Amino acid sequence: MLGGPRGLEQLKKYKLKGNSFKIIALFFLAVVLGLLVSVYYYNKPHVDVEKSEAAYVLTAQSLIDEYQKDEAVTDKKYSEHVILVKGNILEISTLKGNGVITLNDGDPESSIICHMLPSQNAKTLTLKKGQSINIKGICTGYLLDVIMVRCTIVE
Amino acid sequence: MKGFYFAVLCSLLVTGLRAQDKYITKEGYVSFFSHSIVEDIKADNDQVLSIMDTSSGEIAIQLLMRSFMFEKALMQEHFNENYVESYKYPKATFSGEIMNLGEIDDQNTETEIVGVLKLHGEEKEISTIVNIQKTSNEIVLTGDFKVDVADFNIKIPSIVANNIAKTIKVSFKLHHKPYSQ
Repeated sequence: MLGGPRGLEQLKKYKLKGNSFKIIALFFLAVVLGLLVSVYYYNKPHVDVEKSEAAYVLTAQSLIDEYQKDEAVTDKKYSEHVILVKGNILEISTLKGNGVITLNDGDPESSIICHMLPSQNAKTLTLKKGQSINIKGICTGYLLDVIMVRCTIVE
Repeated sequence: MKGFYFAVLCSLLVTGLRAQDKYITKEGYVSFFSHSIVEDIKADNDQVLSIMDTSSGEIAIQLLMRSFMFEKALMQEHFNENYVESYKYPKATFSGEIMNLGEIDDQNTETEIVGVLKLHGEEKEISTIVNIQKTSNEIVLTGDFKVDVADFNIKIPSIVANNIAKTIKVSFKLHHKPYSQ
């Protein structure tokens, strides 16, 4: 079919067409990939506290002590990090359907207020005041108490 | 101003003389909402601390910027790292006064609240209407107001300028309970 000078010319034409097609295809591929990456990045999930390793492990009272000693330095160290705190349950309550556990080892002024993830509701119901417990969550800072969010119970 | 705020907070906390006039919540709710053609952005904070004195009408509110929860993790990250710089300014505070608090009853539930909002190191006087529901063991303050992003020296990069409103609506709902040591 491609025999003779005419066929050769046609082949060249096809080749040229093939190349520009490749370039266009690559361009579109790059655009689609770019879009996919940015959509993924835009929808990137929140930190999964349950699966995350705690950056710091400490007792409720030592965390409070550190905050009371130097709030600014302590805040830079712990806030935004997943931390694991061991303490005694002072209070168990609910807020908008999710558990809130207050840890206090005897400090008269401050506690650690842990706002639990919805997935922890069943476990939270089995807890009792005074019980010692390990809670992993994200520290958001210190007001009158240390605040932790997205908390989970660690056995 | 920081000193003044602490003075208000301390006086509200420490003066045990009329402890029965103090009301507190550690689970107050504050949210903000930004509407733009590109997207709507909303963030909720359920860990707001608010202390009020029913005899003077004084109120002191404190919240952690990192306690604002966004639907998208990326927005939360940008908010804390780039816009409000939570590592430098971890808290926002409001200290002010609820006008004519004594005249509030079942029929008359609205009054004005005036005070200073401190955010991102900048201060701005805020005055808004607050709805007050008093029951035997609870005082609930509800309301909203608008703030201009520019007033708080928050820099929005031009590439996302269309994604974020120039004026943000802030809503609050604070369930105060009697303060007991």
